[in-house]
Amino acid sequence: MANTLSLYRTVKRLGIPDDRIILMLADDMACNARNKYPAQVFNNENHRLNLYGDNVEVDYRGYEVTVENFLRVLTGRHETAVPRSKRLLSDEGSHILLYMTGHGGDEFLKFQDSEELQSHDLADAVKQMKQKRRFKELLIMVDTCQAATLFSQLHSPGVLAIGSSMKGENSYSHHLDSDVGVSVVDRFTFYTLAFFERLNMYNNASLSSLFNSYNPSLLMSTAYYRTDLYKRPLDKVPVTDFFGSVMETIHTDSAYRGFSVKGTDKAEIKAPLNLKASQAERRALSAYHQDQISDFNKEVCSFHCIWSTLHKTVVEKIEDADTFVNYGLVVIIPLVAASTWLWR
Amino acid sequence: MEKTRWFWVWVITSLFFRLVLIYFPENLNLGFRPEVATPLTSLRRLAEGYWLKQSSMSPYAGSMYHGSPMLLSILGPLTVKRIEGQPSHLMCSLLFVVADLVTAMLIRATGQTLQLAYSQSLRSLNLVSLLESSETLSAGDIAALVYLWNPLTIITCVGSSTSPIENLLIVLSLYGACLRIAPLAAFGWVLAMHLSLYPVILIIPVILLLGYGPDAPPRKLFLQKNSSENGNSPSCHGNYPCNEVTSQEKLPLHPFLWRPVMHFMLWASFWLFYVFVLCSISLKQHGGLLEMLKRTHGFILTMEDLSPNIGVLWYFFAEVFDFFRDFFLIVFHINILFMILPLAIRLKHRPCFLAFVYIAISSMLKSYPSVGDSALYLGILGLFINELAEMKFSFFLFCGYIGVSLLSPVMHNLWIWRGTGNANFYFATAIAYACLQLFSPDMDKWHGPALVCFCPPESVFQLLQGWSMGLNRRGNLL
Repeated sequence: MANTLSLYRTVKRLGIPDDRIILMLADDMACNARNKYPAQVFNNENHRLNLYGDNVEVDYRGYEVTVENFLRVLTGRHETAVPRSKRLLSDEGSHILLYMTGHGGDEFLKFQDSEELQSHDLADAVKQMKQKRRFKELLIMVDTCQAATLFSQLHSPGVLAIGSSMKGENSYSHHLDSDVGVSVVDRFTFYTLAFFERLNMYNNASLSSLFNSYNPSLLMSTAYYRTDLYKRPLDKVPVTDFFGSVMETIHTDSAYRGFSVKGTDKAEIKAPLNLKASQAERRALSAYHQDQISDFNKEVCSFHCIWSTLHKTVVEKIEDADTFVNYGLVVIIPLVAASTWLWR
Repeated sequence: MEKTRWFWVWVITSLFFRLVLIYFPENLNLGFRPEVATPLTSLRRLAEGYWLKQSSMSPYAGSMYHGSPMLLSILGPLTVKRIEGQPSHLMCSLLFVVADLVTAMLIRATGQTLQLAYSQSLRSLNLVSLLESSETLSAGDIAALVYLWNPLTIITCVGSSTSPIENLLIVLSLYGACLRIAPLAAFGWVLAMHLSLYPVILIIPVILLLGYGPDAPPRKLFLQKNSSENGNSPSCHGNYPCNEVTSQEKLPLHPFLWRPVMHFMLWASFWLFYVFVLCSISLKQHGGLLEMLKRTHGFILTMEDLSPNIGVLWYFFAEVFDFFRDFFLIVFHINILFMILPLAIRLKHRPCFLAFVYIAISSMLKSYPSVGDSALYLGILGLFINELAEMKFSFFLFCGYIGVSLLSPVMHNLWIWRGTGNANFYFATAIAYACLQLFSPDMDKWHGPALVCFCPPESVFQLLQGWSMGLNRRGNLL
């Protein structure tokens, strides 16, 4: 549980909000009668950080964490009464991070000591997700014994997977907290968290640096990842694509500076793709509106005809309107002064 | 000399006072008061319109900004410039202080011209002795000082409103017309009309100024003088041909000169064309000229924004049914228009005073008035101080202005922030303000030497107007 909660905290720190996180916890540790620190979960023996704090939003807890619910979340096949906070509301542009930890083995992962999730079930669910266009890219991270076998059956494109150990290897915990009496964090998760503690939202560390940071001798297992289904080169993918949510932010120190830079192509350089499309639409709409106005003008009296033809020939040829208007305004003052002086 | 020195001392002190108020921290919050900043003149809305323009959207999107695109190009970049440690909109406020100063200087120059014309006409009426015996104050200086030191002007200048620029343009057109400089008068009039629609009625006093010249006594007096000079000639009934047989003294009869008026028309059309071309280029991508006219002048005429202000229209239009809305819009705007002709007929020999009356009427009955408009006409009132020296009820009006200025923010606070009052509280002060403005240009009788201009028909008529408007609204006062 501490593994998942630590990663949950990291992912929130890097920007993903709660309504984009589905947290499924067996949740039997924090308020367990044998927990010496009730309602507190630590991931380090120095007890520096209580992971079970105020802003932890658990979507599926206790008896709701079943294989069936897990597959329903992935594929989106819920009953109608299930609230939105328990659904994976993704679309074909989403990047999804799937982190699973617990006891596992060759081609399976244990759920609540009573059920198992099998690798081919997971592969089928991912295949359904891809067919229903529920993700663009999916990163599966598994921290169990023989983790790499869990995703051996995957065959959908756009999936990247990393496991803490290979077939035949165990994954080990990092250290034992003698005060609480159990091991509090596993090695793979520990080193993942250590990597992310060094980052903030604006670093653009790549996935390859994350994957290369795992040292097999420290992990006491081989962190294996498969990239055959994933098209992008790993050194070009920032970790915040999966582990964080970084918007295209442009720092301004003045409240009224827009996002388009004067003097260069407006909205070409800095605006992301979907914004450009909507601006083009807006311009198209206003151009259409203007055509309608000029057509209407033609039906009315001759002054409007002259004006509209003048408009079409002269005005629309002027490309940079604002500097022209500024020059026009600057010219007004000497014009007025000259005409006044000459009139006397 | 002594007087001019004191004049400049007062002018510089007023500028200094404004600069002190501008550098004051923003506890004054004058830009948020509805009396100061209306939907047409608010600088915050202009900053919003400028930001929209910079983001490649139409500046009129979202119905925030309703002014001219040219004002956007001038004032927009100034609202964005921020200097470390200084209050925001500093550059704009400095520009407004400069505008106020120029307005005051123009008022002073107009006053001097008027005074010169007045003394000339007195001289031609052989009333020079009267001129020397009576104490006439320098109307131009006093008017300029009244304009600069009027608390309403200071509040407008400091309070992030674009009214100082509109006032400057109106005074510029009056100045140009007084000095018969057609291009300047046309420029001022066209731009003032472009920024806010109502100065369009000032075309009549401007044309009269260009045609007849500055304020003069009525023609009757000159004709009487002529006929008394001619005495015994029987065919003389005081007509124009009679004057040709006068002796060496040619009395200036101020015939209506059409040439300056023609020049004014030409220059006005030139400036109008120029402004329209610039605006259509500026709004090329966002709907062009029709969009601008619909959103600026159309907004003023259709009264789309019913947020409370110091005028009387918002309360009425908040209650009127949609079916009657157009009818009442027409009624309210014709209310201004149909006063134009009788006043023009009555006051055609005093175009400057006519302009003052028009400004007072439009600032009372316009859709979105603010204290900036009353600042203008109170300043121009100072130009006629010699003629209005024996105005009755001046103390009453003065106290009325102070009372309304103090009570209006209090009632606004009671209504909006505390919730212990309602809209009627605030509207009561608005009605009191309208009544004050009603009385001040009209309940005055001129007792200048040998000049009697008594306007009973107009004043009674307008009194009736005011009371009928008061009866139109339903609801309790307090």
